[in-house]
This record gives sequence, C-alpha cells and structure tokens, in this order.
Amino acid sequence: MNGPQAPLLELRNLVVRYGSITALHGINLTVQAGELVTLLGANGAGKSTTLRAISGLIHPAGGEIFWHGGLINRLRTERTVKLGISHCPEGRRVLSRQSVADNLALGAWLRRDKAAIASDLERCYALFPRLAERRSQLAGSLSGGEQQMLAISRSLMARPTLLMLDEPSLGLAPRLVAEVMAALAQLHRDGLTILLVEQNAQAALTIADRGLVLEAGSISAAGRAEQLLADDSLQASYLGAN
Amino acid sequence: MEALLQLLFNGLSVGAVYALFALGYTLVFSVLGVINFAHGAIFTLGAYFTYFLIGGAVGANGLMAGLQLPFALPFWLALPLAGLGAAAVALVLERIAFRPLRDRGSDPLLALITSLGAGVILVNLIQLLVGAESYSIPVETLESLPVALSIAGAKVRTVQVMLLAIAGLLLAALSIWIDGSRSGKALQAVSEDPITAQLLGINSGRMIQIAFGISGFLAGVAGGLVGLSVSIAGPYFGIGYGLKGLGVLVLGGLGSVPGAVLGGLIIGLAEACVPAELSGYKDAVSFGFLFLVLLIRPQGLLGRPQANKV
Repeated sequence: MNGPQAPLLELRNLVVRYGSITALHGINLTVQAGELVTLLGANGAGKSTTLRAISGLIHPAGGEIFWHGGLINRLRTERTVKLGISHCPEGRRVLSRQSVADNLALGAWLRRDKAAIASDLERCYALFPRLAERRSQLAGSLSGGEQQMLAISRSLMARPTLLMLDEPSLGLAPRLVAEVMAALAQLHRDGLTILLVEQNAQAALTIADRGLVLEAGSISAAGRAEQLLADDSLQASYLGAN
Repeated sequence: MEALLQLLFNGLSVGAVYALFALGYTLVFSVLGVINFAHGAIFTLGAYFTYFLIGGAVGANGLMAGLQLPFALPFWLALPLAGLGAAAVALVLERIAFRPLRDRGSDPLLALITSLGAGVILVNLIQLLVGAESYSIPVETLESLPVALSIAGAKVRTVQVMLLAIAGLLLAALSIWIDGSRSGKALQAVSEDPITAQLLGINSGRMIQIAFGISGFLAGVAGGLVGLSVSIAGPYFGIGYGLKGLGVLVLGGLGSVPGAVLGGLIIGLAEACVPAELSGYKDAVSFGFLFLVLLIRPQGLLGRPQANKV
C-alpha cells in the first residue's frame, strides 16, 4: 500500500498476450478518484484488452495493476467486482432471456444492502426512464439503445467506485449516442470515476477530463481532453472523422 | 377405463424417472455446454446407496462381500441421504473430471470424453466392490404403507404413486428455484453468458458446482426410486436409463427444463403403451418415436432453434 495519496487505479508497464500475440506492449495509465478518463484508438488497438485485464477476465503477462495502491494483477473477476470495479462490456451483453428488472437485480449480485439496492434501482430508472417503462419486458426484446442503457444501469447496480465502459456508443444512432454520453456526464458530475473506452473520440472527449490514445498496443498520445480535441494532427491520424 | 388408468400410471411413473434423469443432464449442460456421461453411473450409485442405507447386505462377490451397515434406516430417510451421497460423488467428479479441463481452457468437448471415462471407472468400481449381481430393495421398507392402492378402480402399486409424487415435487421445487430465486437467476445468467455473469460478480465455478450437486441429487433419488420399483439390476443398470435420459433430453429440447419434463413423460407413456408380449421392443418404440419427432423438429419439442454463436 502506498498510502492515501495513491491513485484509484494505476497501470504500470502492463503487458498482455493472447498466446503468441502481444496485445499490450507495456502501457501506463492512472485514473484519479472522480476523473472521467477516456481511452481512444482504432479497432484492435488494445482498448478492450486493457479493460479485460483490469477486471481480471485476462491476467497480464507483465507489469502491474494497482487499486488504491494495492496490487490486483491476478484477482479473479468476482473479486475485482467486490473491490468496486464494474466493467460494462462491449456489445452490451444483456441477459436476453431475463427481464429488465432481473438484469438489474443481478447487477447487485454481490450486495446485501436491500434498502440501498432499491434506491439505486430507482436512480437507474430516473437516469433512463425508458428502462422503468420496460422493467418487466425481456431484455432481448429491447432496442440497441435501450440495451445499452440497461447494460450501463446493470453495472451501476454494483455501486462501483470505478465504472469501466467498453464502447457504449457502438451501433447507436447519433441521438442515442448523445443521450448515453449525457447520462455518463451526469454520473461523472455526481462524483463517479469513469474509464471510458471509445472509438467515437469526438463524443468521448467532449465529456472527458483526460484522454489517452492507444495505437497497436502502446499509448501514442495523452493529454487533457480539450488539448486532444484541438490537436488537428491527432484528429487526422488516429481519431478519424467520426 | 381401469386398464387405461393403470397404463397412464405406469407410463407417468416411468416417465417421471426419465424426466429427473434428463433434468440432471440439462442442469449441467446449461452451465457447461456439455453432456455429463457419468450421470448414469451416479444414478446407479444412488440406487446402491439406498440399498445399503436401508440395511441391505452385500452379496458373495466383490471386495465388500457380506458387509452390512450396523443400522437400517427407513426408506423415507435413506432416499434423501442416498441423494446427498450421489450429490457428493457428482461434486468430486466435477472437481477431478471437469474443472481441471476448464481451468486449462480446453475445448468443452474434451469434458465429454473425461466424463465418459469417469462413468466407466465408477461402474467398474461398483462391480469391484459389490459384485455384478442384482439387488432388490424390498417393498417392506415402506413399512406400514400398503403394497398397492386402488385409485378409481385401478390397482396401482404404491411405489409408482410415490415415484410420481416425489419426482413431481422435485421437479416443481427445481423450477421454482431456477425461475424464482436470486441464485436460480444467477445460474441462468451463467448459462446464457458466462463472461457477463463473471462481470456481475457471479462466481461461475460455484454455480457449476451447484448444478452438479443438484443434478447428482436428482440422479441419486431417481436411482433409489427405481431400485425400489424395479430392482437394482447390477452395476450397469444405470446405462440404459442414461441412454433413455439422453433421448428424453433431445426430444424435449437441449437445455430446456420444461422440455426435459415433457420429453420424459412422453417417452414413459409411449413405452407403457407397448403391450407386455412385445416388451422387448420398448426401446425401439421410444427411440423410433424420438427419431420421428426430430425429423420434424430438430431442436426438440421445446428447444430453441440453434443460433450460430458468434
């Protein structure tokens, strides 16, 4: 433990391999409590891999992951959830054969504080009123945007210290992207720490405090969100026109 | 009318055992995506456990020849204990035949082979210990209960009524648990998407153990009931039921709980309709029936059409 001044999350020289393929070549990243940090980059740059390593879905081949200054490299996923890390996966992955309400209830699987769970549920419904309307519907029958709202809400039901989202804008119409980003900005204002993986750099940088750009498994640029947004060369080379 | 009722009872009580059997397969299949081929051996063990717990003695063959427990339990106590014993064996089986493969990330199909091997080993162990002769659980273990009951004029064996009632109770309890409880829903989550289940904090290893435990308990109880109803026809007698259970599973639809129950009852009834002088053709009738259904509905009666997994 490095004491109270340690960042909430810190990756040091993190290396992840899939068999003989190296997906992350030693990246460094810190997230301070209360920050909204976005991790940008093209398909296959290693963004999802970074989140998977933090949540324990895959164990790193080298480097360290610190949580409040403590090493969590080899923790199983259930343990990282218990620590307060909630990973909202790419492609939403709602439980399609269970109702909206059941999906949300399973989000609180590790919690026993019934009263607080009920109030968090109401907060999710307030954040995304459409989920409240569809609470008894099967999650598989929701539209893509609604499923994304459900996936985010389900992650929130764990009452995380850090919310990690993997491409929440993927496949959504621009109006829905704006709605999801507005909800994330709201959560950030309320004090939640967020690590947001996105290909839609414009949308992500608009709500983020800081951004990092991953390119082929290494961090190629990092800075304040306003700086990255203003950087024309960056816009052209990595962030694309979208 | 009486004959029809009798036939119905015969069919339903056999079908209920098949349903218990198929549900055991279904539970494990739903969380692991593979069939546990040692399930038939667990069923057999349940029958032997029941036999010993009611105070039965081992025959002249096998290493344990002549052994007998110093006490004799009543059947209603021996049966759930035998179920628990079978569940314990199923848990050990999960630990040694399934988990090492999963931890190594091997192809789930490999577990099929190891479970087949484990089943053969279990059956041979039984033979080594207690010999290959058949044992019967005497109806007297039911103590004061009459041997047969008269229901609407039809004479029905008490054992069959018990079989039907216990199986029905277990099936109802299981579906209430799966659909109505937090842990049942977590099991469904592991079944639908193991990765997401992990991200919600669900310990999928624990849910798999629960599935094995329940499936072992169901098989053990089914074994004890069949032992009472028919007799324990040697260490291999679970294999025939195991095959039938597989047929039921496929008929009802792989991974569907109501499908397993429906499939069990249908095959049980179909077999009961085979006249006594043709009883040698029972299996041909049930598997022929299965064949016909699959021609029309390849996903089984209540199964979902197989979508390609991305």
